[in-house]
Amino acid sequence: MDGQGNAGATGGGGSDCDAVARAFVEYYYHTFDANRAALAALYGATSMLSFEGQRVAGAVEIGRKLTQLPFEQCRHAVSTVDCQPSPSFPGSILVFVSGNLQLAGEEHQLRFSQMFQLVPNEQGSFFVQNDIFRLNYG
Amino acid sequence: MAMDPDAVARAFVEHYYATFDTNRAALATLYQDGSMLTFEGDKILGTTHITNKLTSLPFQQCQHTIATVDCQPSGPQGGMLVFVSGSIRTSPNPEEHPLRFSQVGDLDPTPPASLSLSLARARAARA
Repeated sequence: MDGQGNAGATGGGGSDCDAVARAFVEYYYHTFDANRAALAALYGATSMLSFEGQRVAGAVEIGRKLTQLPFEQCRHAVSTVDCQPSPSFPGSILVFVSGNLQLAGEEHQLRFSQMFQLVPNEQGSFFVQNDIFRLNYG
Repeated sequence: MAMDPDAVARAFVEHYYATFDTNRAALATLYQDGSMLTFEGDKILGTTHITNKLTSLPFQQCQHTIATVDCQPSGPQGGMLVFVSGSIRTSPNPEEHPLRFSQVGDLDPTPPASLSLSLARARAARA
C-alpha cells in the first residue's frame, strides 16, 4: 500500500479496521484498473488467490494471473466494504467487498464479490495473504 | 488434519445453510464468544447477540441455494476461510425473485472438533 503510511498498523479491533479496509480497497481497485502489473507488490510468497475457482499461489504467479486476464481495460465500482479483525495473525483484517465491474467493449456490467485477508508486514503496512474473487450471476 | 479441506468447507457450508433454513436457533452451536457477525453492515459480537440477530430476521422461512464455495487456509493455527455465493428465497413472498448473497466465514478448528466462525455477510444484491 504505497504512501498509505500508516496508522493502519495498529490494526485490529472492531471499527479500527474500517479505515484500513477502505484505504486498501480504494488503492487495490485503482491499481487494478490503472496499472495491473503493480498489484503483484501487494502479495507475498505465502499469498493465495482463488480467482473464479482457479487457485494460484505466491506473488509471482498471482501477478502473472492478474496481468494475463483476458481483457485490456476494466473499471471496478465498489458498492460495499465490510471488515472484521481476523484471529489468524496479530493485527490481521478480513475485508469483504461487493461491486460492479465494467469491461471495456462489453455492454453490461458484471457483479462481483471479493474477500481479502490483510496481514501486517514489517514496514507497518499490509500485504494480501488471502484473496478470493467471484463474479456473481443470476 | 488428513481431511480434504474442500470437502470440509463444503460440508460445513451445507450444514450451516441447512441449519439456517430449518432450525435457525441452532446456529448458536456454530459460533463462539469471540465470533463476530457483520450482517448488512451491522457488526454483532458473541454467540448470544449473533443468534438473536439471526433468529429475529424479518422472514418466517427461507431457503438458501449455494452457487459457489471457495476455501483457503487462513493462517498457522489451522483455520479456514470459506467464501460462499448463492441466492436466498424468503417467505412470505417466495414467488418474488430470489436475492443474491455472498458470505465469508473464518472457520476455527477449536476442540472438540467443532467449527466456530466469524462472518461478514455482504449486502444482498436485489435482482
